[in-house]
Amino acid sequence: MSKYRIMVIDDEKIVGDMAKMSLEQEGYAVETFLNAEPALARLKEERFDVVVTDYKMKGIDGMEVLRTVKGLYPETKVIMITAFANLDTAIEALRGDVHDFFPKPVKIKELKASIQRALSK
Amino acid sequence: MKIEHKIILSNAFNVALIVLIGLFAFQNLNLILTKLRFVEIADDLNASLLEMRLSEKNYFLYKDDTVLFDTKDKIDKTLQSIERVRKDIIRAVGENNLRQLITRLKRYSEVIENVRKSGNKNAQLENMLRTEGKKLKEFSEEITRLERVRVNEIIANSKRVLFYSFWAILLSAMIVSHFISQKILRSLRMIEKLTKSISEGNFHKIEGIKSRDELGSVINAINSMSEELSHREEQIIQSKKLASIGVLTAGVAHELTNPLNNISMIAQTYEELYDKLSREERIDFMSKVQGETERMKEIIKNLLDFSRPKEPDLKKADINATIQKTLKLMQNSLDVSNIETKLNLKDGLPQVLIDEHQIQQVFVNLITNAAQAMSGGGMLFIGSRNGSSSGFVEVTVADTGKGIPPEFLPHIFDPFFSTKGDGGTGLGLSVSYGIIKNHKGDIRVESKVGVGTTFTIELPVYKEEG
Repeated sequence: MSKYRIMVIDDEKIVGDMAKMSLEQEGYAVETFLNAEPALARLKEERFDVVVTDYKMKGIDGMEVLRTVKGLYPETKVIMITAFANLDTAIEALRGDVHDFFPKPVKIKELKASIQRALSK
Repeated sequence: MKIEHKIILSNAFNVALIVLIGLFAFQNLNLILTKLRFVEIADDLNASLLEMRLSEKNYFLYKDDTVLFDTKDKIDKTLQSIERVRKDIIRAVGENNLRQLITRLKRYSEVIENVRKSGNKNAQLENMLRTEGKKLKEFSEEITRLERVRVNEIIANSKRVLFYSFWAILLSAMIVSHFISQKILRSLRMIEKLTKSISEGNFHKIEGIKSRDELGSVINAINSMSEELSHREEQIIQSKKLASIGVLTAGVAHELTNPLNNISMIAQTYEELYDKLSREERIDFMSKVQGETERMKEIIKNLLDFSRPKEPDLKKADINATIQKTLKLMQNSLDVSNIETKLNLKDGLPQVLIDEHQIQQVFVNLITNAAQAMSGGGMLFIGSRNGSSSGFVEVTVADTGKGIPPEFLPHIFDPFFSTKGDGGTGLGLSVSYGIIKNHKGDIRVESKVGVGTTFTIELPVYKEEG
């Protein structure tokens, strides 16, 4: 059975690096991006099982990533993380069919659990 | 002297001139009238005299005594009429001439009386009568002629005086109004310049212009307005700062959350993978933590600088040397970013009164911004020159970067306003603004998207005590 493919988009390089190291331990194939444009281009080439994206980014933001991913692959799960945790963004994300929503600082264990849930559905 | 007083004075001068000329003309007219009145009287007199001489001739022709009575009667009537207009005659020809005239008339009358008494046979008396009559006629005609000449002279003289005084008044009015309007225009031009500089946001007090006229009062008014405006500006900045506390809280939360999250994730990964990590990887993790704490420290430092700007420790300094020192600090990062620096520093600029450390911080902020606006490399221009307002030195920091959209320009000195996304705290320019304002200087920005951005700083020149 091939590995699950996970994409991490965050303009903080450390977030991608740490998530990749940690998630690869679980046997996932992880690709990281510092902004949304190349990430969306990559998504058009290939389907990912889970996309973890930051909410606030320069250029294309997390909400637009969510919409684009859902437009391309409705079954791909999107997990959003944000330093700006407020109710409005959470509601907006839920309406866009987000799988999960994490405020920063992110607990990696919770993130992993969320990814597992997303893949088991 | 006030302009108002000058105008009043010059008007009073012109009015006085006009009144003087009016009086002169009035007096001349009166004189002419008197003279004409006399000429009228004299004409009557001459007519009477002519009649007397005619009677005289008749006497000699027909030797008729009754004619002499008529003549005597005429003389008496003439004397009476002279007595009636005595005053007018005195005014016109003077008392002397009048007395002479009366004397001659009386003598003529006596001669006639004598001729009548002698019974018209005395040739000597007759001769006397003829001579006296002739003399009287001549005298009367002479003073009449003289008076006519005088009248003509007076008219000619008045004409001349009125003609010259007309030009004198015209000239004086023109010269005075020219000078006064020149002075008013000069004052207005000066005031225009001053108000223009205020509208550009230079709330410096105007000094060195001491004027006791309206310009002086206007300058005083402008000075107090400037003071009030600069005071209000401070209040606005202060209230903006208060208003930005809300933004500040959100900004701080966001700014600090990212490095905090990074440290947290590093720690979690470190813990989880501890056994699998190599020594180098562990050291790398910890240095990443260090880096993130540095980032947080920077945010907190900027925040402190912003909320509690230090009073500048002002000393005299050479602005060009300060620029060079700052550039030395930044040269490495400029080289790495592939940015070429062009300096255009003016020699012999006056020393400025600055806190060199704080001004260096401003330059660092501006140069950092410029470098970040030119991610693909570019040119950085730093120039110094005499300020546009006297008593100031001007420094410009210009880049060939991507520029700032016009809708962002009014906000770029606001705290936590950043166009750089993750790149900046949004405090650099707001801190710089505070520093420059504390120096009683000015900082401005001009920018064109795709062309570049120019920051202009004006700093006060150091002045010797006293």
